[in-house]
Amino acid sequence: MNTSDSEEDSYNERSALVQCESPTIPSYNQDHDMSLPQETDTKRRRPVSSGLDEPGPVERERASTPDGEEEELTLKYGAKHVIMLFIPVTLCMVVVVATIKSVSFYTEKTSQRLIYTPFEEDPNSVGQRLLNSILNTMVMISVIVVMTIILVVLYKYRCYKFIHGWLILSSLMLLFWFSFMYLGEVFKTYNVAMDYPTLVMIIWNFGVVGMICIHWKGPLRLQQAYLIVISALMALIFIKYLPEWSAWVILGAISIYDLIAVLCPKGPLRMLVETAQERNEPIFPALIYSSAMVWMVGMADSSNPDSADERQRNEGGALAQEGVESEDDAAQGGRRRYSAEEDLEEDRGVKLGLGDFIFYSVLVGKAATTGGDWNTTLACFVAILIGLCLTLLLLAIFKKALPALPISITFGLVFYFSTDNLVRPFMDSLAAHQYYI
Amino acid sequence: MNLERMPNEEKLSLCRRYYLGGFAFLPFLWLVNVLWFFKEAFLKPAYTEQPQIKSYIKKSAMGLILWVAVLTTWITIFQHFRARWGEVGDYLSFTIPLGTA
Repeated sequence: MNTSDSEEDSYNERSALVQCESPTIPSYNQDHDMSLPQETDTKRRRPVSSGLDEPGPVERERASTPDGEEEELTLKYGAKHVIMLFIPVTLCMVVVVATIKSVSFYTEKTSQRLIYTPFEEDPNSVGQRLLNSILNTMVMISVIVVMTIILVVLYKYRCYKFIHGWLILSSLMLLFWFSFMYLGEVFKTYNVAMDYPTLVMIIWNFGVVGMICIHWKGPLRLQQAYLIVISALMALIFIKYLPEWSAWVILGAISIYDLIAVLCPKGPLRMLVETAQERNEPIFPALIYSSAMVWMVGMADSSNPDSADERQRNEGGALAQEGVESEDDAAQGGRRRYSAEEDLEEDRGVKLGLGDFIFYSVLVGKAATTGGDWNTTLACFVAILIGLCLTLLLLAIFKKALPALPISITFGLVFYFSTDNLVRPFMDSLAAHQYYI
Repeated sequence: MNLERMPNEEKLSLCRRYYLGGFAFLPFLWLVNVLWFFKEAFLKPAYTEQPQIKSYIKKSAMGLILWVAVLTTWITIFQHFRARWGEVGDYLSFTIPLGTA
Protein backbone atom coordinates (compact mmCIF):
# COMPACT_ATOMS: atom_id res chain seq x y z
CA MET A 1 0.00 0.00 0.00
CA ASN A 2 1.23 3.36 -0.62
CA THR A 3 2.14 4.86 2.57
CA SER A 4 3.15 7.98 0.96
CA ASP A 5 -0.24 9.19 0.16
CA SER A 6 -2.63 10.26 2.63
CA GLU A 7 -5.43 12.46 2.09
CA GLU A 8 -7.77 14.12 4.25
CA ASP A 9 -10.96 15.59 3.48
CA SER A 10 -12.67 17.68 5.76
CA TYR A 11 -15.81 19.21 5.32
CA ASN A 12 -18.43 20.79 7.15
CA GLU A 13 -21.93 20.47 6.49
CA ARG A 14 -24.80 22.28 7.46
CA SER A 15 -28.25 21.51 7.02
CA ALA A 16 -30.29 24.35 6.06
CA LEU A 17 -33.83 24.83 6.74
CA VAL A 18 -35.98 26.00 4.09
CA GLN A 19 -38.51 28.48 4.93
CA CYS A 20 -41.99 27.49 4.24
CA GLU A 21 -44.00 30.37 3.19
CA SER A 22 -47.58 31.23 3.28
CA PRO A 23 -49.19 31.64 -0.09
CA THR A 24 -48.90 35.36 -0.11
CA ILE A 25 -45.20 35.70 0.14
CA PRO A 26 -42.58 34.07 -1.94
CA SER A 27 -40.75 31.39 -0.20
CA TYR A 28 -37.13 31.04 -0.33
CA ASN A 29 -34.78 28.37 0.47
CA GLN A 30 -31.71 28.80 2.30
CA ASP A 31 -28.99 26.49 1.83
CA HIS A 32 -26.03 26.25 3.82
CA ASP A 33 -23.19 24.42 2.68
CA MET A 34 -20.26 24.27 4.61
CA SER A 35 -17.52 22.88 2.78
CA LEU A 36 -14.07 23.17 3.70
CA PRO A 37 -11.84 23.62 0.84
CA GLN A 38 -8.62 22.00 1.26
CA GLU A 39 -5.69 22.44 -0.78
CA THR A 40 -2.52 20.76 -0.57
CA ASP A 41 0.38 22.72 -1.48
CA THR A 42 3.69 21.39 -2.19
CA LYS A 43 4.23 20.59 1.40
CA ARG A 44 1.40 19.10 3.13
CA ARG A 45 -1.71 20.79 3.63
CA ARG A 46 -5.12 19.85 3.73
CA PRO A 47 -7.40 22.05 1.90
CA VAL A 48 -10.81 22.32 3.05
CA SER A 49 -13.33 23.72 0.84
CA SER A 50 -16.62 24.77 1.86
CA GLY A 51 -19.37 25.20 -0.44
CA LEU A 52 -22.54 26.81 0.12
CA ASP A 53 -25.66 25.97 -1.41
CA GLU A 54 -27.73 28.73 -2.32
CA PRO A 55 -31.33 28.34 -2.30
CA GLY A 56 -32.98 30.41 -4.79
CA PRO A 57 -36.19 31.99 -4.03
CA VAL A 58 -38.86 29.56 -4.52
CA GLU A 59 -42.29 30.47 -5.29
CA ARG A 60 -44.65 28.60 -3.32
CA GLU A 61 -48.07 28.70 -4.50
CA ARG A 62 -50.85 27.24 -2.73
CA ALA A 63 -54.46 27.54 -2.82
CA SER A 64 -55.42 29.41 0.24
CA THR A 65 -54.96 27.08 3.08
CA PRO A 66 -55.40 27.88 6.66
CA ASP A 67 -52.33 28.07 8.76
CA GLY A 68 -53.12 24.92 10.61
CA GLU A 69 -53.06 22.93 7.44
CA GLU A 70 -49.81 24.49 6.47
CA GLU A 71 -48.32 23.49 9.74
CA GLU A 72 -49.57 20.00 9.24
CA LEU A 73 -48.14 19.74 5.77
CA THR A 74 -44.85 21.09 7.01
CA LEU A 75 -44.67 18.54 9.72
CA LYS A 76 -45.77 15.78 7.41
CA TYR A 77 -43.02 16.60 5.02
CA GLY A 78 -40.67 16.99 7.91
CA ALA A 79 -41.32 13.47 9.07
CA LYS A 80 -40.90 12.09 5.59
CA HIS A 81 -37.64 13.91 5.21
CA VAL A 82 -36.31 12.55 8.41
CA ILE A 83 -36.78 9.06 7.05
CA MET A 84 -35.32 10.08 3.71
CA LEU A 85 -32.19 11.19 5.44
CA PHE A 86 -31.95 8.31 7.87
CA ILE A 87 -31.45 5.80 5.11
CA PRO A 88 -28.41 7.32 3.41
CA VAL A 89 -26.78 8.28 6.70
CA THR A 90 -27.31 4.75 7.98
CA LEU A 91 -25.97 3.24 4.76
CA CYS A 92 -22.87 5.35 4.91
CA MET A 93 -22.22 4.40 8.50
CA VAL A 94 -22.87 0.73 7.77
CA VAL A 95 -20.34 0.78 4.94
CA VAL A 96 -17.74 2.44 7.12
CA VAL A 97 -18.28 0.14 10.09
CA ALA A 98 -18.32 -2.96 7.90
CA THR A 99 -15.04 -1.93 6.33
CA ILE A 100 -13.44 -1.12 9.64
CA LYS A 101 -14.43 -4.42 11.13
CA SER A 102 -13.25 -6.50 8.21
CA VAL A 103 -10.38 -4.71 6.53
CA SER A 104 -7.64 -4.23 9.04
CA PHE A 105 -5.82 -1.66 6.94
CA TYR A 106 -7.98 1.16 8.15
CA THR A 107 -7.35 0.46 11.78
CA GLU A 108 -3.63 -0.07 11.53
CA LYS A 109 -1.92 2.88 12.95
CA THR A 110 0.94 4.06 10.89
CA SER A 111 3.39 6.73 11.72
CA GLN A 112 2.18 8.60 8.73
CA ARG A 113 0.06 11.51 9.44
CA LEU A 114 -1.66 14.05 7.40
CA ILE A 115 -0.01 17.35 7.10
CA TYR A 116 -2.89 18.89 8.89
CA THR A 117 -2.05 17.17 12.10
CA PRO A 118 1.66 17.68 12.39
CA PHE A 119 2.02 17.03 16.09
CA GLU A 120 2.67 13.52 17.07
CA GLU A 121 0.73 12.01 19.90
CA ASP A 122 3.00 10.50 22.42
CA PRO A 123 1.22 7.67 24.16
CA ASN A 124 3.38 7.91 27.22
CA SER A 125 2.49 11.25 28.60
CA VAL A 126 -1.13 12.19 29.03
CA GLY A 127 -0.53 15.89 29.31
CA GLN A 128 1.72 15.98 26.28
CA ARG A 129 -0.73 13.95 24.29
CA LEU A 130 -3.60 16.21 25.20
CA LEU A 131 -1.59 19.27 24.33
CA ASN A 132 -0.57 17.86 20.99
CA SER A 133 -4.07 16.88 20.06
CA ILE A 134 -5.30 20.35 20.90
CA LEU A 135 -2.54 21.83 18.78
CA ASN A 136 -3.41 19.48 15.93
CA THR A 137 -7.00 20.56 16.19
CA MET A 138 -6.04 24.19 16.09
CA VAL A 139 -3.99 23.62 12.96
CA MET A 140 -6.80 21.75 11.29
CA ILE A 141 -9.47 24.22 12.20
CA SER A 142 -7.39 27.15 11.07
CA VAL A 143 -6.82 25.43 7.74
CA ILE A 144 -10.53 24.93 7.46
CA VAL A 145 -11.30 28.51 8.35
CA VAL A 146 -8.77 29.80 5.84
CA MET A 147 -10.20 27.58 3.17
CA THR A 148 -13.71 28.69 3.88
CA ILE A 149 -12.71 32.31 3.72
CA ILE A 150 -10.87 31.74 0.44
CA LEU A 151 -13.96 30.08 -0.89
CA VAL A 152 -16.16 32.98 0.14
CA VAL A 153 -13.77 35.43 -1.43
CA LEU A 154 -13.61 33.42 -4.64
CA TYR A 155 -17.33 33.27 -4.74
CA LYS A 156 -17.71 36.95 -4.09
CA TYR A 157 -15.39 37.77 -6.92
CA ARG A 158 -17.11 35.35 -9.23
CA CYS A 159 -14.20 33.03 -9.88
CA TYR A 160 -16.56 30.26 -10.76
CA LYS A 161 -14.25 28.42 -13.08
CA PHE A 162 -11.64 28.07 -10.41
CA ILE A 163 -14.15 26.66 -7.99
CA HIS A 164 -15.56 24.25 -10.53
CA GLY A 165 -12.11 23.05 -11.40
CA TRP A 166 -11.31 22.55 -7.77
CA LEU A 167 -14.39 20.51 -7.22
CA ILE A 168 -13.77 18.35 -10.24
CA LEU A 169 -10.22 17.72 -9.15
CA SER A 170 -11.41 16.69 -5.73
CA SER A 171 -13.96 14.27 -6.97
CA LEU A 172 -11.49 12.82 -9.44
CA MET A 173 -9.09 12.17 -6.63
CA LEU A 174 -11.74 10.61 -4.54
CA LEU A 175 -13.32 8.47 -7.19
CA PHE A 176 -10.13 7.10 -8.63
CA TRP A 177 -7.37 7.20 -6.11
CA PHE A 178 -9.22 6.39 -2.91
CA SER A 179 -11.34 3.71 -4.45
CA PHE A 180 -8.18 2.15 -5.89
CA MET A 181 -6.66 2.06 -2.42
CA TYR A 182 -9.86 0.70 -0.98
CA LEU A 183 -10.18 -2.07 -3.54
CA GLY A 184 -6.56 -3.04 -3.07
CA GLU A 185 -7.03 -3.41 0.64
CA VAL A 186 -10.25 -5.38 0.29
CA PHE A 187 -8.60 -7.80 -2.13
CA LYS A 188 -5.68 -8.26 0.18
CA THR A 189 -7.95 -8.91 3.12
CA TYR A 190 -9.89 -11.58 1.29
CA ASN A 191 -6.80 -13.03 -0.34
CA VAL A 192 -8.11 -12.71 -3.84
CA ALA A 193 -5.90 -12.64 -6.88
CA MET A 194 -6.60 -9.66 -9.08
CA ASP A 195 -4.94 -8.76 -12.29
CA TYR A 196 -4.18 -5.32 -13.55
CA PRO A 197 -6.34 -5.32 -16.68
CA THR A 198 -9.50 -6.22 -14.78
CA LEU A 199 -8.63 -3.80 -12.03
CA VAL A 200 -8.08 -0.98 -14.48
CA MET A 201 -11.43 -1.72 -16.08
CA ILE A 202 -13.20 -1.70 -12.73
CA ILE A 203 -11.65 1.52 -11.47
CA TRP A 204 -12.06 3.24 -14.82
CA ASN A 205 -15.73 2.35 -15.07
CA PHE A 206 -16.43 3.20 -11.47
CA GLY A 207 -14.68 6.53 -11.67
CA VAL A 208 -15.96 7.76 -15.00
CA VAL A 209 -19.57 6.80 -14.36
CA GLY A 210 -19.22 8.44 -10.95
CA MET A 211 -17.97 11.67 -12.46
CA ILE A 212 -20.80 11.63 -14.98
CA CYS A 213 -23.45 10.97 -12.35
CA ILE A 214 -22.20 13.50 -9.89
CA HIS A 215 -21.20 16.37 -12.11
CA TRP A 216 -23.47 15.92 -15.03
CA LYS A 217 -26.64 13.95 -15.40
CA GLY A 218 -27.44 10.54 -14.16
CA PRO A 219 -30.09 8.49 -12.45
CA LEU A 220 -30.89 9.84 -9.01
CA ARG A 221 -30.39 6.59 -7.16
CA LEU A 222 -27.01 6.05 -8.72
CA GLN A 223 -25.97 9.57 -7.82
CA GLN A 224 -27.06 9.06 -4.25
CA ALA A 225 -25.20 5.76 -4.11
CA TYR A 226 -22.02 7.37 -5.39
CA LEU A 227 -22.26 10.18 -2.89
CA ILE A 228 -22.69 7.70 -0.07
CA VAL A 229 -19.70 5.71 -1.29
CA ILE A 230 -17.56 8.80 -1.58
CA SER A 231 -18.48 9.93 1.90
CA ALA A 232 -17.62 6.52 3.24
CA LEU A 233 -14.24 6.55 1.50
CA MET A 234 -13.45 9.96 2.90
CA ALA A 235 -14.48 8.95 6.38
CA LEU A 236 -12.25 5.90 6.16
CA ILE A 237 -9.28 8.01 5.20
CA PHE A 238 -9.94 10.29 8.13
CA ILE A 239 -10.25 7.38 10.48
CA LYS A 240 -6.97 5.96 9.32
CA TYR A 241 -4.87 9.05 9.29
CA LEU A 242 -6.09 11.13 12.19
CA PRO A 243 -4.34 10.39 15.46
CA GLU A 244 -6.51 9.00 18.22
CA TRP A 245 -7.15 11.88 20.53
CA SER A 246 -6.87 14.49 17.82
CA ALA A 247 -9.78 12.91 16.02
CA TRP A 248 -12.11 13.37 18.95
CA VAL A 249 -11.03 16.91 19.65
CA ILE A 250 -11.33 17.74 15.96
CA LEU A 251 -14.85 16.38 15.87
CA GLY A 252 -15.82 18.59 18.75
CA ALA A 253 -14.08 21.63 17.31
CA ILE A 254 -15.65 21.19 13.89
CA SER A 255 -19.13 21.14 15.37
CA ILE A 256 -18.42 24.36 17.21
CA TYR A 257 -17.03 25.91 14.07
CA ASP A 258 -20.04 24.75 12.12
CA LEU A 259 -22.30 26.38 14.66
CA ILE A 260 -20.41 29.65 14.50
CA ALA A 261 -19.97 29.79 10.76
CA VAL A 262 -23.58 29.11 9.98
CA LEU A 263 -25.35 31.11 12.61
CA CYS A 264 -23.21 34.16 13.23
CA PRO A 265 -24.00 37.14 11.05
CA LYS A 266 -20.38 37.46 10.03
CA GLY A 267 -19.82 33.77 9.61
CA PRO A 268 -18.25 32.87 6.27
CA LEU A 269 -20.85 30.36 5.33
CA ARG A 270 -23.67 32.64 6.17
CA MET A 271 -22.09 35.34 4.06
CA LEU A 272 -21.74 32.89 1.23
CA VAL A 273 -25.37 31.97 1.41
CA GLU A 274 -26.46 35.56 1.52
CA THR A 275 -24.30 36.49 -1.43
CA ALA A 276 -25.72 33.62 -3.39
CA GLN A 277 -29.20 34.68 -2.48
CA GLU A 278 -28.55 38.24 -3.54
CA ARG A 279 -27.36 37.05 -6.88
CA ASN A 280 -30.25 34.70 -7.06
CA GLU A 281 -28.19 31.86 -8.32
CA PRO A 282 -27.35 28.42 -7.13
CA ILE A 283 -24.11 28.11 -5.34
CA PHE A 284 -21.29 26.57 -7.27
CA PRO A 285 -21.57 22.81 -7.48
CA ALA A 286 -21.18 21.86 -3.94
CA LEU A 287 -21.61 18.34 -3.20
CA ILE A 288 -24.79 17.77 -1.45
CA TYR A 289 -26.85 14.75 -1.03
CA SER A 290 -30.34 15.28 -2.27
CA SER A 291 -33.05 12.84 -1.57
CA ALA A 292 -35.33 13.86 -4.34
CA MET A 293 -35.12 15.70 -7.53
CA VAL A 294 -38.04 17.73 -8.48
CA TRP A 295 -38.17 19.75 -11.55
CA MET A 296 -39.39 23.15 -10.82
CA VAL A 297 -41.87 24.41 -13.27
CA GLY A 298 -42.94 27.97 -13.23
CA MET A 299 -40.59 28.84 -10.50
CA ALA A 300 -39.16 32.23 -10.33
CA ASP A 301 -35.69 31.09 -9.81
CA SER A 302 -33.84 29.18 -12.37
CA SER A 303 -31.91 27.06 -10.04
CA ASN A 304 -32.98 23.57 -10.44
CA PRO A 305 -32.35 20.39 -8.59
CA ASP A 306 -29.67 19.48 -11.05
CA SER A 307 -26.93 21.13 -9.21
CA ALA A 308 -28.10 19.92 -5.91
CA ASP A 309 -26.14 16.79 -5.78
CA GLU A 310 -22.71 17.85 -6.15
CA ARG A 311 -20.08 17.62 -3.81
CA GLN A 312 -16.96 19.30 -3.28
CA ARG A 313 -14.36 17.74 -1.53
CA ASN A 314 -11.05 18.73 -0.65
CA GLU A 315 -8.58 16.36 0.31
CA GLY A 316 -5.18 17.13 1.00
CA GLY A 317 -2.90 14.90 2.73
CA ALA A 318 0.67 14.53 3.06
CA LEU A 319 2.30 12.17 5.24
CA ALA A 320 4.51 13.65 7.75
CA GLN A 321 7.23 11.42 6.65
CA GLU A 322 6.84 11.31 3.01
CA GLY A 323 5.67 14.71 2.12
CA VAL A 324 3.23 13.55 -0.41
CA GLU A 325 0.61 15.93 -1.24
CA SER A 326 -2.71 15.55 -2.57
CA GLU A 327 -5.38 17.94 -2.93
CA ASP A 328 -8.92 17.62 -2.51
CA ASP A 329 -11.68 19.88 -1.99
CA ALA A 330 -14.41 19.07 0.22
CA ALA A 331 -17.46 21.00 0.46
CA GLN A 332 -20.46 20.24 2.28
CA GLY A 333 -23.69 21.83 2.42
CA GLY A 334 -26.89 20.84 3.75
CA ARG A 335 -30.11 22.21 2.94
CA ARG A 336 -33.57 21.35 2.73
CA ARG A 337 -35.87 22.54 0.23
CA TYR A 338 -39.48 22.62 0.09
CA SER A 339 -40.96 23.76 -3.06
CA ALA A 340 -44.34 23.86 -4.46
CA GLU A 341 -45.27 24.15 -8.02
CA GLU A 342 -48.35 25.79 -9.11
CA ASP A 343 -51.14 23.94 -7.41
CA LEU A 344 -49.05 20.91 -6.68
CA GLU A 345 -47.21 20.32 -3.51
CA GLU A 346 -44.02 18.93 -4.78
CA ASP A 347 -41.48 17.87 -2.38
CA ARG A 348 -38.00 18.71 -3.30
CA GLY A 349 -36.66 16.46 -0.76
CA VAL A 350 -33.99 17.08 1.70
CA LYS A 351 -30.46 17.97 1.09
CA LEU A 352 -27.71 17.28 3.48
CA GLY A 353 -24.14 18.20 2.94
CA LEU A 354 -21.62 15.49 2.38
CA GLY A 355 -19.43 16.77 5.15
CA ASP A 356 -22.11 15.83 7.59
CA PHE A 357 -22.14 12.30 6.23
CA ILE A 358 -18.42 12.15 6.55
CA PHE A 359 -18.14 13.36 10.10
CA TYR A 360 -21.00 11.22 11.30
CA SER A 361 -19.30 8.22 9.78
CA VAL A 362 -15.96 9.22 11.27
CA LEU A 363 -17.51 9.27 14.70
CA VAL A 364 -19.18 5.91 14.35
CA GLY A 365 -16.14 4.44 12.65
CA LYS A 366 -13.85 5.53 15.44
CA ALA A 367 -16.28 4.06 17.94
CA ALA A 368 -16.08 0.81 15.99
CA THR A 369 -12.31 0.97 16.01
CA THR A 370 -11.73 1.55 19.65
CA GLY A 371 -14.73 -0.11 21.19
CA GLY A 372 -14.28 -3.70 22.00
CA ASP A 373 -17.77 -4.74 21.18
CA TRP A 374 -20.79 -3.42 19.44
CA ASN A 375 -22.34 -1.53 22.35
CA THR A 376 -20.36 1.60 21.78
CA THR A 377 -20.86 1.55 18.02
CA LEU A 378 -24.59 1.10 18.30
CA ALA A 379 -24.87 3.74 20.97
CA CYS A 380 -23.07 6.27 18.79
CA PHE A 381 -25.17 5.32 15.81
CA VAL A 382 -28.39 5.87 17.72
CA ALA A 383 -27.09 9.11 19.16
CA ILE A 384 -26.29 10.50 15.75
CA LEU A 385 -29.68 9.60 14.38
CA ILE A 386 -31.38 11.21 17.34
CA GLY A 387 -29.30 14.31 16.78
CA LEU A 388 -30.26 14.34 13.12
CA CYS A 389 -33.92 14.05 14.05
CA LEU A 390 -33.63 16.97 16.42
CA THR A 391 -31.82 19.04 13.84
CA LEU A 392 -34.52 18.38 11.31
CA LEU A 393 -37.15 19.26 13.88
CA LEU A 394 -35.41 22.53 14.59
CA LEU A 395 -35.25 23.07 10.88
CA ALA A 396 -38.98 22.71 10.59
CA ILE A 397 -39.47 25.12 13.45
CA PHE A 398 -36.99 27.82 12.60
CA LYS A 399 -37.07 27.51 8.86
CA LYS A 400 -33.62 28.73 8.21
CA ALA A 401 -30.26 27.27 7.55
CA LEU A 402 -28.99 25.24 10.42
CA PRO A 403 -25.76 23.41 11.01
CA ALA A 404 -26.22 19.69 10.98
CA LEU A 405 -23.13 18.78 12.92
CA PRO A 406 -23.37 20.23 16.41
CA ILE A 407 -26.30 18.38 17.91
CA SER A 408 -25.48 14.99 16.44
CA ILE A 409 -21.79 15.17 17.17
CA THR A 410 -22.41 16.33 20.72
CA PHE A 411 -24.76 13.46 21.38
CA GLY A 412 -22.39 11.09 19.65
CA LEU A 413 -19.43 12.18 21.71
CA VAL A 414 -21.37 12.06 24.96
CA PHE A 415 -22.71 8.61 24.18
CA TYR A 416 -19.32 7.36 23.06
CA PHE A 417 -17.44 8.39 26.14
CA SER A 418 -20.14 7.40 28.56
CA THR A 419 -20.73 4.04 26.92
CA ASP A 420 -17.07 3.29 26.69
CA ASN A 421 -16.31 4.21 30.25
CA LEU A 422 -19.50 3.43 32.10
CA VAL A 423 -21.78 1.10 30.25
CA ARG A 424 -19.24 -1.33 28.90
CA PRO A 425 -17.51 -2.19 32.16
CA PHE A 426 -20.95 -2.47 33.72
CA MET A 427 -22.14 -4.91 31.07
CA ASP A 428 -18.91 -6.84 31.29
CA SER A 429 -19.28 -7.21 35.05
CA LEU A 430 -22.85 -8.30 34.71
CA ALA A 431 -21.90 -10.89 32.13
CA ALA A 432 -18.97 -12.08 34.20
CA HIS A 433 -21.19 -12.62 37.19
CA GLN A 434 -23.98 -14.03 35.07
CA TYR A 435 -26.40 -11.52 36.43
CA TYR A 436 -29.16 -10.66 34.05
CA ILE A 437 -31.18 -7.55 34.21
CA MET B 1 -32.31 13.59 -12.79
CA ASN B 2 -35.89 12.83 -13.15
CA LEU B 3 -36.72 11.39 -16.49
CA GLU B 4 -40.37 12.10 -16.00
CA ARG B 5 -39.84 15.74 -16.34
CA MET B 6 -37.54 15.85 -19.30
CA PRO B 7 -38.80 16.61 -22.73
CA ASN B 8 -38.48 13.75 -25.16
CA GLU B 9 -35.74 15.30 -27.24
CA GLU B 10 -33.61 15.64 -24.18
CA LYS B 11 -34.22 12.05 -23.24
CA LEU B 12 -33.13 10.95 -26.68
CA SER B 13 -30.06 13.08 -26.54
CA LEU B 14 -29.13 11.78 -23.11
CA CYS B 15 -29.64 8.18 -24.19
CA ARG B 16 -27.52 8.79 -27.24
CA ARG B 17 -24.73 10.34 -25.25
CA TYR B 18 -24.68 7.48 -22.81
CA TYR B 19 -24.56 5.07 -25.72
CA LEU B 20 -21.68 6.85 -27.39
CA GLY B 21 -19.85 7.25 -24.11
CA GLY B 22 -19.89 3.52 -23.56
CA PHE B 23 -17.47 3.04 -26.41
CA ALA B 24 -14.71 4.40 -24.25
CA PHE B 25 -14.31 1.03 -22.55
CA LEU B 26 -17.29 1.77 -20.31
CA PRO B 27 -19.66 -1.20 -20.23
CA PHE B 28 -20.93 0.09 -16.89
CA LEU B 29 -22.21 3.15 -18.68
CA TRP B 30 -24.06 0.92 -21.10
CA LEU B 31 -25.54 -0.97 -18.19
CA VAL B 32 -26.74 2.27 -16.61
CA ASN B 33 -28.15 3.31 -19.96
CA VAL B 34 -30.11 0.09 -20.36
CA LEU B 35 -31.47 0.13 -16.84
CA TRP B 36 -32.36 3.77 -16.79
CA PHE B 37 -34.08 4.00 -20.14
CA PHE B 38 -35.64 0.56 -20.15
CA LYS B 39 -38.96 1.79 -18.90
CA GLU B 40 -38.89 4.68 -21.31
CA ALA B 41 -38.16 2.52 -24.28
CA PHE B 42 -40.35 -0.48 -23.72
CA LEU B 43 -42.99 0.19 -21.14
CA LYS B 44 -44.26 3.58 -22.10
CA PRO B 45 -46.82 4.41 -24.73
CA ALA B 46 -45.21 5.25 -28.02
CA TYR B 47 -43.92 8.69 -28.79
CA THR B 48 -41.88 10.05 -31.62
CA GLU B 49 -38.44 9.48 -30.22
CA GLN B 50 -39.15 6.12 -28.76
CA PRO B 51 -37.96 3.91 -31.65
CA GLN B 52 -34.60 5.62 -31.59
CA ILE B 53 -34.29 5.23 -27.86
CA LYS B 54 -35.20 1.58 -28.29
CA SER B 55 -32.45 1.07 -30.82
CA TYR B 56 -29.89 2.73 -28.57
CA ILE B 57 -30.94 0.56 -25.67
CA LYS B 58 -30.68 -2.57 -27.78
CA LYS B 59 -27.24 -1.62 -29.06
CA SER B 60 -26.09 -0.78 -25.55
CA ALA B 61 -27.36 -4.13 -24.33
CA MET B 62 -25.49 -5.95 -27.07
CA GLY B 63 -22.30 -4.10 -26.30
CA LEU B 64 -22.75 -4.84 -22.63
CA ILE B 65 -23.21 -8.57 -23.24
CA LEU B 66 -20.14 -8.61 -25.43
CA TRP B 67 -18.05 -6.92 -22.75
CA VAL B 68 -19.36 -9.23 -20.06
CA ALA B 69 -18.41 -12.23 -22.18
CA VAL B 70 -14.92 -10.90 -22.82
CA LEU B 71 -14.31 -10.02 -19.19
CA THR B 72 -15.66 -13.31 -17.90
CA THR B 73 -13.45 -15.22 -20.28
CA TRP B 74 -10.39 -13.25 -19.33
CA ILE B 75 -11.02 -13.52 -15.61
CA THR B 76 -11.60 -17.24 -15.83
CA ILE B 77 -8.42 -17.74 -17.81
CA PHE B 78 -6.43 -15.57 -15.46
CA GLN B 79 -7.64 -17.14 -12.25
CA HIS B 80 -7.11 -20.62 -13.59
CA PHE B 81 -3.73 -20.23 -15.17
CA ARG B 82 -2.18 -17.53 -13.05
CA ALA B 83 -0.04 -19.82 -11.02
CA ARG B 84 1.18 -21.67 -14.09
CA TRP B 85 2.27 -18.57 -15.87
CA GLY B 86 5.01 -17.89 -13.45
CA GLU B 87 6.62 -14.58 -13.98
CA VAL B 88 4.07 -13.26 -16.44
CA GLY B 89 1.34 -14.13 -13.98
CA ASP B 90 3.03 -12.17 -11.23
CA TYR B 91 3.61 -9.26 -13.52
CA LEU B 92 -0.06 -9.12 -14.37
CA SER B 93 -1.19 -9.48 -10.79
CA PHE B 94 -2.23 -6.62 -8.66
CA THR B 95 -2.67 -8.71 -5.56
CA ILE B 96 -1.20 -12.13 -5.12
CA PRO B 97 -2.94 -14.39 -2.66
CA LEU B 98 -0.79 -15.65 0.12
CA GLY B 99 -0.43 -19.22 1.06
CA THR B 100 -1.33 -20.75 -2.26
CA ALA B 101 0.81 -21.98 -5.08
